[in-house]
Amino acid sequence: MRASIFKYSLHGLAILAIVTGMVFGFVELIPHGLASPTPRVTLDASRIAPREIEDLTEHNVVRDYGLAWCSLADAREQNRPELIDAYFTGFAHDNLKQAIEDQKETGVRTRYIDSAHKLEAFFYAPGGDAMELRDTAQLQRQVLDGDKVVHEENVTVQYLVIMTPGADRWYVRGLQAVPPSK
Amino acid sequence: MRTFFKIGLFFATCWFAAYSAHGAELQLPSTVVANSAVSIPAGGSGQATLYLLGPGHVAKRQVQLGSQIKINPEEVRDAGRYLVILRSGDHDDSGAFYVVAAGPAALSFLDHPSRVPVAENDAISAVAFVLDKFHNVVLAPQTVNFRLTVKDAPPLLRSVTSRNGVAWALLNSSRKEGAAHFDASLGDIRVERVVQQVASDPCNLRIKAQPTPKGVLVETDPVRDCSGNALPDGTIVSFTAIGPDGKSSIDAPIKRGVARTVIPVPHGATISVASGVVIGNEIHVGGGGK
Repeated sequence: MRASIFKYSLHGLAILAIVTGMVFGFVELIPHGLASPTPRVTLDASRIAPREIEDLTEHNVVRDYGLAWCSLADAREQNRPELIDAYFTGFAHDNLKQAIEDQKETGVRTRYIDSAHKLEAFFYAPGGDAMELRDTAQLQRQVLDGDKVVHEENVTVQYLVIMTPGADRWYVRGLQAVPPSK
Repeated sequence: MRTFFKIGLFFATCWFAAYSAHGAELQLPSTVVANSAVSIPAGGSGQATLYLLGPGHVAKRQVQLGSQIKINPEEVRDAGRYLVILRSGDHDDSGAFYVVAAGPAALSFLDHPSRVPVAENDAISAVAFVLDKFHNVVLAPQTVNFRLTVKDAPPLLRSVTSRNGVAWALLNSSRKEGAAHFDASLGDIRVERVVQQVASDPCNLRIKAQPTPKGVLVETDPVRDCSGNALPDGTIVSFTAIGPDGKSSIDAPIKRGVARTVIPVPHGATISVASGVVIGNEIHVGGGGK
């Protein structure tokens, strides 16, 4: 009787240890994979031309642009350039990758605490192979040197965005901040 | 009086301390053309750490206050927003400036589709993004010329002014089949693509029949589109025979401009021809193929 109580207690402890390990493991994963908050993205395609945007495309552009910013935030905070591969391509990818490599070299990191993006799509190529949008982004970000915050800012930045379709998603091919319009 | 003097001296000291701490003030240009040197006057004295965070470059270095801080042209090649932080002790000053594209130096030209039927309106789309030599999108309007050239035919030309860095046009395909040279140009910049123009749907699809021991040899006239271009070999032509024995269909590819097949029709039939969405003539053959 005592032996079986002991045995069940051991089983219970083992299960508890596994569950605790999983919980802590998940929490440990957060800074590496799920750290950045999902950006809020809205899209106004009422003035898009010359091709009309399809419902599914509209949905996918919003989804993929948000995920692109999520990957950008993670990559710039963790100094892991490979994180941008899934949603950036072309010169946008190359520039961003270089900036992250530079961050890594200098020990600088950029943390995006919050971001909201108001997208306005104004060009959709007749062949459906490129889209140009303007993003009015509200960004709250910190610049860190090592673990020390050296600067914090809350800014509104306008971006000119070029997106192109891939097999299963829209990629950010151009992401260029433009001076605020007067 | 002495007390007032001490209080005054205290405030003056505080003000001076605050002023000294605030010595690294940044005066930044609002915009800079890509690949231009930037000079930032930095007041104060001693050393400070400069952080420069741009879209494609991040730098951190020690600088001397009280002189001009130089940012090299190669550090500001990518258009976008650059954040500058000057940190001295616990005090930091910051500011931002924008780098805008230099003059146009390249075109990113997308044409669609790569194969197009002849004589179709707005069948070819041309999209050109105007870039500088650092691959930044040039936002200032530029005139982009699109030209579609087919051998022995006058070229199709279209001039378009770019907006937000992009110029686009829809062009008709020409009436003659073959490889069309399609180029986009801006000043000395020229990008060329090739669009294969292929014959359109057949026009006046006609067949003739001839009895043979094995059945009826059915053969089309040379299959051409309405512009007179021969349909390429391999295009499928369907022959259908409907008679007392039922309905039978045979698909035959065009070879050397014509499609032919032998249909066994022992008790006679009506034979029709079609290719794609085009239906040709019908002929009636009697029993035994007569």
